[in-house]
This record gives sequence, structure tokens and C-alpha cells, in this order.
Amino acid sequence: MTNSTAVSITDLGVSFPTSSGPAHAVAGVSLDLPRGQITGLVGESGSGKSTLALSLLNAVPAPGSVTSGSVEIDGVGDVLTLKGSALRKTRGAKIGYVFQASQNSLNPLKPVGKQLLDLGRSHGVRDRRDLLHRARLLVEEMGLDAERVLASYQHELSGGMRQRVGIVFALVLNAHVLILDEPTTALDMLSQASVLEIVQKVHSERGLTTLIISHDVGVIGDIADRMAVMYAGRIVEEGPTPSVLASPWHPYTRALLTAMPRITGDVSAAKQLPGRPPDLSSIPRAGCVFAPRCALAEDACTETEPENTFLADHRFACFVTARETAKETTA
Amino acid sequence: MIEVKGLTRTFAARRGLLGRGSVHALRGIDVTIPDHGAVSVIGESGCGKTTLGRILCGLESFDGGDVIIDGESLSALKPKDRAPFHRKIQMIHQDPYSALNPTRTIGQILADPLSLRGRQLDADRKWLEARRAELLGLVGLDPDYVLPRYPHMLSGGMRQRVVIARALTVDPDVLVADEAVSMIDVSLRLGILQLLRDLRDRVGVSVLFITHDVATARYVGDNSDLYVLYRGTVIEHGPADTVIQRPAHPYTQCLLSAIPVLRGIELPGPDRVVPNGPLDERQEPPGCLFEPRCPFAEADCRAGAPALALRGDATQLHACLHPALRSVVAVPASRS
Amino acid sequence: MTVALAPEQLETGLRRSRQRTARRWVLFVNTPSRAISAFIVVLFGLMAIFGPYLYPANLPINANDIYASPSLAHPLGTDFEGVDTLALIVTGARYVIFSAVIACAITVVLGTVGGLVAGYYPRWAGSAIMRVTDFVLALPGFPVLLVLATVWNFGSLWQMALALGVFGWGGIARAVRSQTLSLRERPFVEAARGLGIPGWRIITTEVMPNVAPFIGMNLLTGITAFIYSEVGLFFLGAVPFTGSNWGVMLNNAVFQANAVTSTRALAYLLSPLICIMLITLALVTLMNAVDEFFNPRLRRIK
Repeated sequence: MTNSTAVSITDLGVSFPTSSGPAHAVAGVSLDLPRGQITGLVGESGSGKSTLALSLLNAVPAPGSVTSGSVEIDGVGDVLTLKGSALRKTRGAKIGYVFQASQNSLNPLKPVGKQLLDLGRSHGVRDRRDLLHRARLLVEEMGLDAERVLASYQHELSGGMRQRVGIVFALVLNAHVLILDEPTTALDMLSQASVLEIVQKVHSERGLTTLIISHDVGVIGDIADRMAVMYAGRIVEEGPTPSVLASPWHPYTRALLTAMPRITGDVSAAKQLPGRPPDLSSIPRAGCVFAPRCALAEDACTETEPENTFLADHRFACFVTARETAKETTA
Repeated sequence: MIEVKGLTRTFAARRGLLGRGSVHALRGIDVTIPDHGAVSVIGESGCGKTTLGRILCGLESFDGGDVIIDGESLSALKPKDRAPFHRKIQMIHQDPYSALNPTRTIGQILADPLSLRGRQLDADRKWLEARRAELLGLVGLDPDYVLPRYPHMLSGGMRQRVVIARALTVDPDVLVADEAVSMIDVSLRLGILQLLRDLRDRVGVSVLFITHDVATARYVGDNSDLYVLYRGTVIEHGPADTVIQRPAHPYTQCLLSAIPVLRGIELPGPDRVVPNGPLDERQEPPGCLFEPRCPFAEADCRAGAPALALRGDATQLHACLHPALRSVVAVPASRS
Repeated sequence: MTVALAPEQLETGLRRSRQRTARRWVLFVNTPSRAISAFIVVLFGLMAIFGPYLYPANLPINANDIYASPSLAHPLGTDFEGVDTLALIVTGARYVIFSAVIACAITVVLGTVGGLVAGYYPRWAGSAIMRVTDFVLALPGFPVLLVLATVWNFGSLWQMALALGVFGWGGIARAVRSQTLSLRERPFVEAARGLGIPGWRIITTEVMPNVAPFIGMNLLTGITAFIYSEVGLFFLGAVPFTGSNWGVMLNNAVFQANAVTSTRALAYLLSPLICIMLITLALVTLMNAVDEFFNPRLRRIK
């Protein structure tokens, strides 16, 4: 792991047992999160992005289990080898995780301030006044009234406010890695814009390494420096965001961008993607996972999984495209 | 044709422990849905757009104003006589899974309303099965695949198509699509949007498309009629392309400014604006409802609520005393 | 998206969909504890149905052999008249089980209908039915039965079932009503209303299938609760003995044989107790299976 990478995921695999054998929610995923940058992970339902996010905390829910790979975090080592109190200390103190606002991850029976104190207590924070002070500053940074928010119960806060409180919780112990799981789903446009603005501000002020996971390409396209596209448990394309959006190589990325409703562009140029995203039981067991829906699919695509092709710092996994781009560069 | 005139709906709400207040969900709005038309309504949560849809479908009552369906004024009818008219307006709900009974097969779900219709037309079982297959074909589903299945066996996109097919069983005039694609995977959304657009020609149904995601509104119709709602009032109304490219009202401009910009293929609009602070539902401003948050508010904005009118260079109706056309929405980046 | 199935595949699919219903019953025996529980339930069920036919109407008395210990001739010993305890258990099962089941059926019918109507039409039917339900609920179950017993000797099987049923349906009604109230607001029920489907049809086709798992589970707990109630009533001597049943046995064992203080008629005391315990455990174990049984996600096509 180099100095410029804060989190290094190598060959990660997570599988769940099903009646017809183990199904791989995540397979062979390698991803580096560069220090100080925002990386975005785009995926639809069934892509495995949430499972991937949870494995960064070594929190994959049973009956799923990590079958291969490592998650190296700067200053912590391989998270997947940690257990018990070492793991607990890492979560929160080294890695901040922000859940979706709609997932009521706040205790409905306790005011926010008390939950913050609980957090501090469980991490052995001695100076709790300092903790509250830091929390108050963070809440104010989010544009909220600190006294009111800390005294509120979860149901008294709007979706946007809950999301911001989630970010406060994730950062109050000074973690340097921040993971946001669908931070703007269920928020409307104005709340979404202000939450993203806050994420960006907090990210650059504290020099964090941030991973944002979303099904919304717009959110990732707006705020992320680098972008990875996930499909059926694999990363099919990854690179600098402008590069991936302006010149997508993988057929799935291309099809997704063509099928996505957008505020610019020609409405009649949009085309549907045939078929539907696979779930755990319908992921192809051999060959490229996108082959069943791919317009470019050939016989080789159903036999072996494509390797990654690297073009500068932009990579993709597709036989056909690799062949075409090789031709272009040699021509 | 459906006409909404001066529609008002107020909810009584408890404000903490200190007594009751009112939430004005709709404050006398006017909307027209032409035959075979596509009308889009955009706004934040709480602006009243969902309430509008529910009132049209008969799921909620209204406190003032009128809904005129094919010339029949609903306010003149007793609530229990309104049902046949509301039936002409069918709701396509946001969550396709909860809109279908999880304990019944698709075949049964579609047979229920069809058997009612069949009895009206004095038709037999064969008619029902043929019509059911026809409707499924209209929405792009294979009857043999879908009929014996339960809702949880279908994808979100397929479920939403079933919901649309079910809505069509009663030959409605209008489909109200309330956030109809927001819970569906991105790659499947276009299919539903195009289906709604095509149904207007194939079946003659109109679409009222309610959403907070303005981009999707572009796909249900060619330059559809766009209404922007704020706190229960229409603050801008015009052809979608006009409102999106040259919005007049500051709130519309804030909404459009908030749309994420795809780096690499889009550039942010040059005149983007943000509101001064979040929405405070408890505050009832004396004049323009948006004035407390408006970055361009002036003294006379507090005097009285601006009427929906044409002012200045704007070619669309808006409710702002000092409109200025600003280019806020993302523009395509030119290829170098 | 369209996926076409060839005609042969459709045939197989339909045939398999008929098999799927049979496959769901597997839920009741698919773990060891469930299999044993199902066996116990079936055993006692058969005992209740056929038991009395296996023995003569009047069981033989043997004055020389009272409170005998278990032996080959009398596997569970004998009672105060020298009657074989095993015979008493087998013939006594019918009363206990049938009356509990019938009472349960009464409460389920009354409670479900009441709850559905009160929940779906909260304005006009709701309060009237709920007043009655509140009244029934407010009555403290077992004490009420005791009081009732002073004016009405509901000793026979049908009378017992009626008494238990009529005073026991409040709980189900209230719970079904609250489920119905919440289901009523669900989009698929609203859609049915918007499509013009009449109320009674919505209740039967949309609401009831979604309330079914709850009713099923209540059925099982209801049976156990009623077994306890009636055994308790007999044990306390609150109702007249018409023939023998497990409650009567307990009463005799404790008050006549002093089984609590001496070891003389231990088998006579323990036999009905253990039977009741077994049935209760078995029914409770199967409750999870009932919930899964009604879960639509378990219905498979292929």
C-alpha cells in the first residue's frame, strides 16, 4: 500500500449461502481509495455495493461471510483480521460510517446528545465535555442549531437533518476515513444539494478520504474525484470521474449513461437497457456477469471472466472493448 | 379533460404540546390536464404535489375549490357520488411493491378489477383472460411469465408495469404517476417513462407526472406542461423546456440549481442560486411565501402574495414581482 | 422486458405450482423439534377422535387395585376407583381437546369478523363493535368464568366451548382491528378502492390474506389458553363433572388422592399434567411454522 492510498481493498470476495450453492455478492473486487480524495461507487440493486461497504467495517451480516481478500486501512492494518474490541475501536474512531437517513440508525428513545455521549463512553473517551464541544462545532458546521439538535429525538428531525447528524456521529471521533452509504436517497433536491455541499466542505477541511456509495450517478458525478461502477458484485469500470463519464469504456457503463434520465442531452437519444439487474441467484456462474444483457457479447464472454484493462488510471473489464482499444492504439 | 380550480386543502396539525396549527397543503391552485396530455408537477416534499394527486384519485377530500372531470363539477356532488369520476383517475404509486397485494398472484391481481368490468359489459371469462393478456402486452410484459407469479418474484420495473396494467383495467382518463420511478433502478426508469409517454398515443390516456426529480419530467412528454409548486401554490407554470432553460421564479431557479452536475459531460449553469436557509413550515410570511428564503427579495415582496402572471421577458406564468431569467441548469460540456 | 416460455415449460411450471402447495406443509416437519411437535399434535388429535371408541363406555372398576403403581397391565397406574389411568387419559382427551378447538373456532370467527369490520369501517361500525369488544376484554378472563359457573353449569363439552368462546374473542378482535386499520392505508388496498372494488370484497381478498398468519398463530395459542382455562375450571371444581377428562383427573388426584403431599398416586397426577404440557409445547413450537406457512415469499414457481 503506497503513501498516497488510505484504503486498499484487494481481491475481496463475500458470499452468501443459497439453496443452489454459495452466491457471490462481491467477487474479486480490488479498489484503492486515494488519500484526500472522494471516491464514488455506483451500483444498482443487486450490485453488491452495500455488502462491499459493510465489509469495510468487517460487518457483513450473517449468513454472509468474507471468502477472500483484504481491506487494508492506513494506520489500522487489515480490517478483516480484526475482531472484538480491536474491531470496535476501529469502527468510529478510525472509520466513520454514515447510514442512510431513511434507515433509522438513531436510537428513537434517546436524544441525540445522549447518544453522542454513549458513543464516547464506548470508545473510552475521557474528556466528554470536549467531545460534546467538538460535536457542537460539527453540528454548527452542518448549518444546524446545535442546542436544539442535541436535545432532539430522532423523530423530531427531518430527513436532511438526520443525515447531517449521521455525519456528525461519523466524524466526532476524528476518523480519517469516511464512508457514506446512500447519503441522499429519500432526500429531495435542495436537501440533497446542501448535504453534498457539507460533505465536500468537511472532506476538504479535514483532509479525509471519503467513499460515497450511491445508485444515483448524478450524485457521484457531481462530487466524486474518482468513480467506480459496480455490477453483480464486480467492479466493471473505474477511473477519474470526468474520464469515466465522458468516455466510458465498459458496455454497462455506456448503456447506463444512455439509459439514465438527464437534465441535459437529447431526450430521444436515450435508450433502455434490456433485461434487469441480477439478484444473488441469477448471477451468471461463468463468464462476464454482464454478458446476458450486453449488445457486444461474444462466445468468449460467456466462458471466462474478463481481466482488467488499464488505460492511464482508468480501467475496465471487457474483452471486446479491450480488443477495440488495442486496435486503436496500434493503428 | 380535468380542470382543477382554486383547490384548497388544509390539515390540522399538532404543534408540539402547545396546541393545534394548520398545514396548508394546497392554497387554491389551478391545474389543467388536457386529453392525451402530459402534465408535470415538481416541487420539494411538503409542497402539496402528492396531496394534489391523492385528491384527484379520490383518496383525500378537498376543503375548497373544485375539480371538474369531463365537465362534471365534483364539489356539486356528495362525496359518495364522486367515486365513479375518481375512478377515471388512477394512481401509479411510488412503491410498486406495496402497491400490489403480496399474497396474490399477478393473474389474480388483474382479474379482480377486470371481473367487475366484465360484469358491467356482460362479458365472460374468455373476455377477461384476453383483455388481461392484452393489457400486459401493452405494458411490455409477457403474460405467460408474469401471470402465475407473486409480486416479490418480479423486478421493480416489472411490478410498476403491472401496476400500470391494473390501472388501465378500468379505462381511465388520467394516470397520476406520483414519484413513479424514484424507487426503481436507474437502468429501468427510462422504460417506465417511455411507457407512460407511449400510452398517451396508444390508449388515449393523459399523464400527470409528479416528481422531485426534474430530469425525469422531460421524458414523459414532448415539452410537457410543467407546474412548479411551493408550499401549496403554483409559483411557475409553462412548457417544460422553457421553465427548465429560462426559469423566472427564484425558487424554480434554486430547485434547478440543486440538480447535480455530471463532471466531464456537463458544466454548471452560470447563474446558479441557493435559498437563504431551509424551509420553516411554521412560518406564514405576510406576502410572497418564498420571501424569507429568497436571495433576491425586495421590500414589496412582503406586501402581498404575487399573482401568477406574465412579467418582463418571461414567456411563462410565474408568481414573482421581480423575476429575472437566469440560466441555472447544467449545460452540456463541449467536446474538445 | 419480455421473457417467453415455451408451452412445455409452461406445463411444467403449472404442475410444479400445484406441487408447491404440498411443499409448504413440509414447514411443519422440517426441523426435528417441529417434526416431534407435529407428531404429538397428530397423536393427541387421533386420541381425541378415536380414543373413546377404544374403550367401553364405562371403564372397569377394580376396588382392589386403587392407586396402583405403573405396571404392565396398567402402564400409568390406576385411579381412586381402580380404573386404568391410561384409559382415562385416552378417553379424556376428547373433551379437553375438542372443547378447546371449538372454543378457539368461535373466538377466531367472532374476533376476525368483528376486527375486520371494525378496522375497515372505523367510522360507523368501528366504535359500536369496539365498545362490545372493550367490554369483553375488560372482563378478567378466568375469574369471569368462575363467576359464570355459579349461575350456569357449563359442564358439557359444547357448553364449555361456548362459554370459553363467547368470553374470549376480545383479544383477537382488537388485534385484527389494529392490523386492518394499518392495512387499510396500504397502497394496494387504496388502489383496490380506487378501482371500484366493493368493500366486502376488499376485506376478503386484500385484507384477510394479510391478516391470516396472525390469525393462524392466535389459533394455536388460543387452543393452549383454553386448555388451561378448562382444566383450571375442573381442577377448582367450579363446573360439574360430566364424565372424565384431564381436568377431572387433576382434581381427583389432588383433592382425593392427596397426590401433592404423598407419592401414592404420582402417576395419576402426572399423566394429565404431562399431556397438557406436551400439547402446549408442541403447539407453541409449531407457531413459527404457521407464520412461515403464510409468508408469500415461500411460494415458488420453479
